[in-house]
Amino acid sequence: MTGALVAVGTLLLCAVVGLVLRARNGRVREGRGSRGTTVELVPEDVRAVLDPAAAVTLVQLSTTFCTPCRHTRVLLSDLAGRTAGLAHTDIDLTDRPELAKALSVLRTPTTLAVDAHGVELLRVGGVPKREDLLTALRPHLPG
Amino acid sequence: MSEQPTPEEAVPTPARPSVDPRGPRFAAWLTTAVLLVVLFTGWWPLLAAQAVVFALGAFAGLRFSPYAALFRALVAPRLAPTDEREDAAPVRFAQGVGFGFAVLGSLGYALGVTGLGVVATAFALAAAFLNAAFGFCLGCEAYLLINRLSIKQRKVGTAR
Repeated sequence: MTGALVAVGTLLLCAVVGLVLRARNGRVREGRGSRGTTVELVPEDVRAVLDPAAAVTLVQLSTTFCTPCRHTRVLLSDLAGRTAGLAHTDIDLTDRPELAKALSVLRTPTTLAVDAHGVELLRVGGVPKREDLLTALRPHLPG
Repeated sequence: MSEQPTPEEAVPTPARPSVDPRGPRFAAWLTTAVLLVVLFTGWWPLLAAQAVVFALGAFAGLRFSPYAALFRALVAPRLAPTDEREDAAPVRFAQGVGFGFAVLGSLGYALGVTGLGVVATAFALAAAFLNAAFGFCLGCEAYLLINRLSIKQRKVGTAR
């Protein structure tokens, strides 16, 4: 009897969690760079991989065990290739839990949009939605 | 999943093991059904059998999983062929996570610790159902979280 109740409860809970995750997936959120008046830079390890020539670098955080990371990689590298001032790079967090913690990343893929100074402008959890991301990036890109 | 990139954005698939993504999805539905039966009946030999299925997929390879064989024999011939491929590594990792829960659950039921059996099976059910219904791979997502939580242990030198 307990088992049956647990089974039904689990399914209901998962249905809710699944719907919430689906709704949140790919949504562009505000970055953690500027809180109030203080400006915070991303960790040195991330600043090291920024493209100095680009106004904004999309820093994709991935792990080995992550199928949507592959879809994200394809989408973002294509987007960066077609957009002036935009670069794309990928950091593998599989063996770097410290960096995941420093960046407050719980899931992969997470994509950070970081400007040339190292300020995190935006972040996207899950596979980004191309048009939404481009619209959000527009104010930070040249021209 | 609705958020797959369109075909023209797809890059040539690298020479890594890959699967038709509908295979694991079908397997996840079967797993969901099996785990539901386990929870309703408490019949642990079925859970142990599911553990063997998980183990075959995780450690031997996805094509050795009986569910994959069922998919190939019964389902795939009725579906339109697809070029869409999915990396096999995340799916195998998730099967490994499922194996852990299934073993734990079987031990719980078999040794009379029914609470452990129910909870472990419920975790496996949650993962299977999220994968089946939403294409959301809990085992893959949890990898980062488990790794983060393990930082502390690593500092005191415990191998993980």
